[in-house]
Amino acid sequence: MLRTSLLEIPTSIIISFLLGFVLLLSLGYDPVNIYKIIIFGSIGDPDYLLIRSTPLVLTGLAFSIPFLTGTFNIGGEGQFYIGALLSLLAAYTTKSSLMAIAVGTMAGGVLGALIAIIKVYRGINEVVSSIMLNWILYFSILFSITTFLYDPLIPYQSVPVPLDARLGCIQILGERVPLIFLIAVCVAFISYYILYYSRIGYCMRVSGLSPKSARYAGFSPELSVITSMVLGGAMGGLGGSLLVIGHTYTIDTTMSALYGMGFAGIGVGLLGRNNPIGIIFSSIFFSMLVIGGEMAELRAGIPTELADALIGIMVIALSMPYIYRIVYTYIRSRK
Amino acid sequence: MIEDVLGLLSSTLVAMVPLLLASVGEIIAERSGVVNIGLEGIFVLSAFLSALTAFYTRDPYVALAVGLLVGFLSGVLHGVISVYLRGDQIISGVGFNMFAYGISIIGLICTWGQHGASPIVAKMPFIGGGFLFFSPLLILSIIIAIVVWYWLFRTSSGLKLRACGEDPRSAEAMGVNVLRTRFYATLIGAMLTGLGGAYMVVGWIGQFTRYISAGRGFIALAIVAFSGWNPIIAIAGSMIFGFFDALSLYLPVKIQLIYPRMNLTSTSYVFRTVPYIAVLITVSVAFRKGRMPRDLGRPYIKE
Repeated sequence: MLRTSLLEIPTSIIISFLLGFVLLLSLGYDPVNIYKIIIFGSIGDPDYLLIRSTPLVLTGLAFSIPFLTGTFNIGGEGQFYIGALLSLLAAYTTKSSLMAIAVGTMAGGVLGALIAIIKVYRGINEVVSSIMLNWILYFSILFSITTFLYDPLIPYQSVPVPLDARLGCIQILGERVPLIFLIAVCVAFISYYILYYSRIGYCMRVSGLSPKSARYAGFSPELSVITSMVLGGAMGGLGGSLLVIGHTYTIDTTMSALYGMGFAGIGVGLLGRNNPIGIIFSSIFFSMLVIGGEMAELRAGIPTELADALIGIMVIALSMPYIYRIVYTYIRSRK
Repeated sequence: MIEDVLGLLSSTLVAMVPLLLASVGEIIAERSGVVNIGLEGIFVLSAFLSALTAFYTRDPYVALAVGLLVGFLSGVLHGVISVYLRGDQIISGVGFNMFAYGISIIGLICTWGQHGASPIVAKMPFIGGGFLFFSPLLILSIIIAIVVWYWLFRTSSGLKLRACGEDPRSAEAMGVNVLRTRFYATLIGAMLTGLGGAYMVVGWIGQFTRYISAGRGFIALAIVAFSGWNPIIAIAGSMIFGFFDALSLYLPVKIQLIYPRMNLTSTSYVFRTVPYIAVLITVSVAFRKGRMPRDLGRPYIKE
């Protein structure tokens, strides 16, 4: 398992960078220069890199925790939106970051539960209901920000998070570390513990591998699906919450800082092999791509959507573990 | 009043075409056992490339052909991955959606230097006039739906295709080449979706925009489940969701006409949620649980 992963992860990254190379070349850009910007552009400011990785750790978990029970949480996007909006509201009214985090996390969890209940009791594929919820929330949040929550001084963004509720950096061994990243890492470790060392996690994993065995063993696979979606949704909500109180402090009226985070989380989760610890590393890699993509837009004029295309190719390349297993067996037999 | 009804009816007939094409295509693919979540991506990519074609050739019909071709190539990709390489169909589709969105927006920005929308391109004419009009592709798509229904449920090759989705092992024993059937079904499904994507540009909106598809690929997937994998019911399903789609664009315009002093730019966001809420409520509350093809989404492993 681990060995095929070692083959799979670099291969998918290489395939995506190679295809991206061809794409850039055909559009008339200098791929070597752009890749240089993408790879080295983001390393200059480690604080910023970790801040940008934080939401991705959580949307990655939002995808991967339900994935263990065989559920596809494509709704990370919507859970992220609602977490961001409600945390902003909570922070604005209570001036407490703790309150903001709690509200955002709970909202995401409720949304996850809704998707799971529609799946379990109505037999509707979670992908369809997730995407509908994503769009409903996208437009509702645009509406609430432009109608009620806009900042009278800066009309293109929402009211800001009050200073008391913002989370900054703390000093650890002389290094500045963003508090929100620390929270994300702690949550990832807690998730790892829950998934692999607790009864809930055990039930979830058995239900994912074999719903029948779960039923014979006396626990309900449906309940596991719902639990995993509540946990996953809560992660998505927490991601939105941390983004607002620890990085942007406001939501702009085009939602540009929010859009796409949930979808990127799918790539983060898959590249991290759905392992919470792996997700921490893959989210740092993804935020390198995203920051690098933004730098490349500034310096070379290539649209930031390059990062989307590269991530998409990576996800496609990660969808066929069978190939890697064949190749791996072939390499083994040759030795 | 009468022109409102006719206007809404026409908008419904215009909006239902891509939904119908994609959902009928997806019914073929899912009946054979392959689920393609990448409908949204095919819509976006085919819309972009057909806008590009229509922009340079000024011929909407060439653009439709390009849409079919984009669908074909996406179908080859998804078919190879999910049928022959035994990949995870959902992950492959999700990845394709991201890739197609990314590459179409890069194309939009690199070709026209615009971040939101392409220039207006040549469009196909509508049939009819005044308040009642529809696209020739509407008739084509309804004919396709009926023919596909006949094929799936009244011919022996349709029966074999359904067997691949229900019980591939028995189908194989019957002498059906399961892998090839599934591959072709995926191809046909993706091509119909590609046609729908091209229609959004040259048959309907007249330009490519960043959020041109806005989840319609997923609405088509909802219609597939709603129809119980039956193309005839998918016509009704597409009409219902096409109506909500039309309503969401029609209401703000109408309200603005009645109350000219009201500022509707932000309120129109509320109306944009209508089709998605309608889909969510229909599938989660008002609809009987359908029976999906038994082997849907599982790779077939030949012994």
